[in-house]
This record gives sequence, C-alpha cells and structure tokens, in this order.
Amino acid sequence: MRLQSKLALFSAASKVIILLLLVVGLPLLVNKVALLNADERLLQKEAKMYKIIEEQGIGTFITGETGDAYGSYNLFREEFISLEEISSGKVVNSIENSLRKVDNEIVKYRVLSSTFDLGGKRYLLEIGRSLATIENNSKTLQGYALYFLAAVVLLTVFTDLAFSKILLRPLTLIVKRLQRVEHPSAFTPKDLKTTTTDFLYLNNTINAMMGQIQEAFQKEKEFIGNVSHELLTPVSILQSRLENLLSDPDTPDAMLEKLVDNLRTLHRLKNIIQALLLISRIENEQYLRNENVDIPQLAQEVAEEIKERAEAREVSLQVEMEADYTLEKANQSLLFTMLFNVVNNAIKYNKPEGTILVKGQPSAQGFELLVKDSGVGITQEQLPHIFSRFKRMHAPDGESHGLGLTIVNTIAHFHGIEVDVQSRHGEETTFRFRFPKANLPESVAFSGNWAQNRV
Amino acid sequence: MHTLIVEDETSLATELMHFLAQEHYICDWASNGREASEKIAVNRYDFILLDLGLPDYDGLDLLQETKAMDHDPAIIILTARGALEDRIRGLGLGADDYLPKPFSLLELQARMQAVLRRKFKLKSSSVAFHGFEIDSSTRRVTFGAQEIVLTKKEFDILHYLLLHKNRILTRLQLTEHIWGNLLEDDYDSNYIDVHIKNLRKKLSAHATTDWLETVRGVGYRLTV
Repeated sequence: MRLQSKLALFSAASKVIILLLLVVGLPLLVNKVALLNADERLLQKEAKMYKIIEEQGIGTFITGETGDAYGSYNLFREEFISLEEISSGKVVNSIENSLRKVDNEIVKYRVLSSTFDLGGKRYLLEIGRSLATIENNSKTLQGYALYFLAAVVLLTVFTDLAFSKILLRPLTLIVKRLQRVEHPSAFTPKDLKTTTTDFLYLNNTINAMMGQIQEAFQKEKEFIGNVSHELLTPVSILQSRLENLLSDPDTPDAMLEKLVDNLRTLHRLKNIIQALLLISRIENEQYLRNENVDIPQLAQEVAEEIKERAEAREVSLQVEMEADYTLEKANQSLLFTMLFNVVNNAIKYNKPEGTILVKGQPSAQGFELLVKDSGVGITQEQLPHIFSRFKRMHAPDGESHGLGLTIVNTIAHFHGIEVDVQSRHGEETTFRFRFPKANLPESVAFSGNWAQNRV
Repeated sequence: MHTLIVEDETSLATELMHFLAQEHYICDWASNGREASEKIAVNRYDFILLDLGLPDYDGLDLLQETKAMDHDPAIIILTARGALEDRIRGLGLGADDYLPKPFSLLELQARMQAVLRRKFKLKSSSVAFHGFEIDSSTRRVTFGAQEIVLTKKEFDILHYLLLHKNRILTRLQLTEHIWGNLLEDDYDSNYIDVHIKNLRKKLSAHATTDWLETVRGVGYRLTV
C-alpha cells in the first residue's frame, strides 16, 4: 500500500474512533451539564424567592385565603414553586429528583427543597423543574454537537488527505523516476525541489549510489573491452598464421592434419573467450533491447536454420505453436542464440530416431515455450548445476566448454524469461521458457509491486 | 586492387599481407593512425582494412576522414574490442562491412569480394565450372538448362568452396561460414560431411563430381 494511502487511512480511522468515543460519552456528559445547569437555575430562583419574601413579607404568598400553603405552576407544568408551613422541626436543604402528582398526572421533577424560619414558624420552599424539559434540552444539545463533530472530522480528513498529498509529492516523483529507469546505467541524476530534508537526503543518496553503480558498470565495460582486445588479438594472429600455413603449397601434407588440429584447439580457445565475453557483455547491459520479437516466428526460424542438423542425426524436429506471443523490448539475435543453443543440445544429446518438440502455448503467466527431446536425459544430481559455468554435463567429445547453457540462462534472465528444466535420465529432457506477460499496463505496474517487477 | 591495411599488430598485418598478396591484392601497411592518414591522403586505395584500436587514433575518426575525401574506397572494419556501438557507429559512418577478430582469412576474402561486387556493381554474378553454373545473386545452380535445387546450406558450401577454389577448406572453416558464430558448446564437423554428401549426390545426377575432393583428415577442396 502506498504511504499516502496509509496516512489517509490512519487519519480517517483515528478520527472515526474519536467520533465514536464522543457518541458514546456525549449523552452522559451533556446530561450532567444540563442537570448542573438546571440546579444552578433552581438555586437562582430560590435566591429570588427569598428576596421577594424578604422585601414583601411571607404574606404575599400565604394569606388567610389560601390557608397555610402556596403553589404555582406554569402552563405546561414545566416548573412549579410551592411554599407551605410545616410543623416538624426537620431542616431540609437538598436538590433531588422526585415524583409529583399534578392534576392527576405523575410528573418527574428536579426539586430544590429548602426550609426556613420566619415569625416563629417553619416554612418549606420547593422549586421544581420537570426532568423531561431538562432531558429535552440536553438531547437538542447532543444533536447539534454530533453534527458539528462529524463535520469537523470530515473536514480534517479531507485536509489531511490534501496536505499529505502535497507533502509526499517529492516522494512520488522519486518513485516515478525510478520506475522509468530499467537499469542503473540509464539513470540520470536530477535535483528535487522540496523543503523536506528527508526527501532531499533520499534523493541525493539515490543519485550518489546510482552514480557509483554507473561508474562500476563503466569500468567493467572498459575492462571487458580491454580483455577482449588483449585475448582476441593473439588468437587472431595465430589463426591467420595457421590458415596461411594451411594454404601454403610448400607445407608438406603430413603437416596439414596437425595444422587442422591446431586450428581446432584455437577455435576452442576462441569460443571460450567469446562465450565468456558474451555473458559479461549481457550482464554489463551492453546489448540493446529495442525490438519486438515474435516468439512463434523465432521458433520457426531456429527450426529452419537447424533442421538439416536434425536430419543428419535422424532426429525428427516438430514445431507446434498454439498461441501468438510478441516479446517487447527484446534482442532478436540474442534470443535466436538462446533458442538455437537449446534446440542444438536437444539434437546433440538425442537418440537415433529420436524426437524433438518445440511447443509454444499460452500459460497462466502469459506464454511458455517448451523444448522437449527424447534424448539421453540429465541425472537428478546434475540437474541443479546445468546452468552453472564450466559444468560439462555429458559432452561426448570432451571439447565442450560448458558455457552453452550458461549463455542460455543469461540471455533468458536479460529478458525476464524464467527457464527451468525437467528431465528423466535416459528418457527425456524438457526445457521450459516462461515469458513475462505482454503489455504490462503502467498503472498496474505502479500500484503493484513495482520494485519486484523490475528486479 | 590497391589495399591499405591499417593495423598496429605487426604479426597480424604480415599475415594479412601475405594472404592478400596471394589473392593478387597490392597491399600497403600503416601501423598507426597518423601514418594511415598520410597514406590515405596521398594514394587512391580501392580497399581499406581498418583496425579500430589504434594507439594514436580513434579508428572511427580515420573512417570519417576517409569518407570526406573525393574518392571512395571500400572499407571493412576489423576489431577485437567488440564493442557493439562501434559496429553500429562504424556502419553508420559509411564502412562497408564489419568483421570482428578473430576472423578467418577466407571469411575476410569472401566479405571483400561481396563488398566489391556491391560497391562496383559487377555485372556478372555467375561463375561457370565443370559444366555447372552458379549465380550468387539469384542463388541458383544450373547444369545446362536444368536447375539443381540445393538447400540454403548446400548452396553456401558450394559457393564458398568455389570462391576459394583450389584451396583446402577445413570443416571448421566451412562450419563457421555457414552457421556463423553461434557460440556453440562444441562444433560437430559431421554436419559438414552430411552436407557434402548430399551436395555430391545432387550434382552427380548431372555430371561427375570428382572435382570436389575430400582431403583426408583435413577438409575439402574444389579444383578448377
């Protein structure tokens, strides 16, 4: 998952959690606040009542007409005030919830009760506020609070998203640049415009390391060039000299065979040097991958080129192509060498009257090419080593340099083709080339494991 | 054919001159870029064999210099450095062919002939021998009015043998010529024997083929 998505997810998740906590805790909190508020109002009213009694005397409320008590409700019985004379000597001063019967209806009230003495008599003052009203108020409050919070959460999630996107833009840029580079040798260092020092550090480090890799590649390239020149020049001189001797009419016939032997040995030396150089050059990325290669057609071309060898060995060579497949960004001549080597081996290590099947078919991964022979096979012990350098498997004449399959493997790897071999000793061998999926869309490559795709 | 060999390796230059002299080329030798530059300016060469790895000169500069002159010698690049861009640049700068070292002298001569035919538009591309006629541009072999159908490899072998007539060609030389350098694990000379056998069979349906000799333990020779 991309860093930006992770940050956005985290920000959204943390805010949702806060919101949930508030939804759970808010009613309790708001109720408490509403109750405290109500109590405060009751106390204020109590003070007001005392003031009135003090100024106007208790006679305002309790007269001969009303008896010894006074009561007043407002219209919807949301509040009431009562004042009565009591006989008991108990002093009360409390605020609590209690049920009162008003007009044959029981209503729950928050009631402030307070006793006071006046003119030798004791009075009880009660001020009540209906709990329904209090709760109603608190519910309205809760509703508004929730809407507000939700709006705040949404807003911050979006601002976080936008901000992290802006903040992470340099990182996105670095990733995109790296994606475009197929190999370190094709990398051009660029500056990054950002004030975030972490990204600057990252970019500079990548630039520096790519520079080192490029330098190493360049040195290796020069080295390969020098080795090539120093080793192949003497071979070239020897070959020309031997060929001149061979065509010299003064050379006695008895010498000719020896000269041919020498040329064979020299050819062997030349082949080893060239095979090693080829492997090094491929690994050094000196070959271009700028062609689209039609694999079924390539298989046909190889078969065409090699069929006379198969005939000479009385081996039947069959090509079956069940699907079209074009390998993009490839090197035709290297792929030809790869397939030629494998089919040539299949001929060389086959039995008389043997068969070879070159088969192309669609696979879950994309496309695969099988080269199956009815040959001498490879033993289980040898199988893991067949692609290693200088591991001669079963060369009958002892002149094989053991690099043929290493070349095959190197070329396959260079093109992102997977090779594996299955064999039953004495019966058959199958080389399988698994080609990468064609036309990998940019977006898939980007959202997927881009780094792994390019290893 | 007046030929300049630009090559800093004395031994190789000596062998090249020895071989080309036999093939009736008149050869000059320059062992460094400065000397080559002077010789090219003074003489009108038909052919230049150019080694790119000179001690004092970039061979490609020399190629450009030569191309800027009013006469137009055929140029074949010979190099052991084997850098791939050299090949592309060399051909792009107007070289007629490119032959990586080590090469067979016979292959060099075949390439030189092909370049000459292309460059100077030699009219006749067909050669007659022992009643047969081989046309290298249409790739046909005929005996009188009858066409002999050969495979690609058979044609290439016959053509190569004829090109180097009266000379022994080893199986290795023939193998390298018809298969190119595929860097095989090992080469199998038997394939050449099979081709020769088939070739003899096809040709002997029309006339005797005793002119296509087997030189025991060495190779084959076409005598004319």
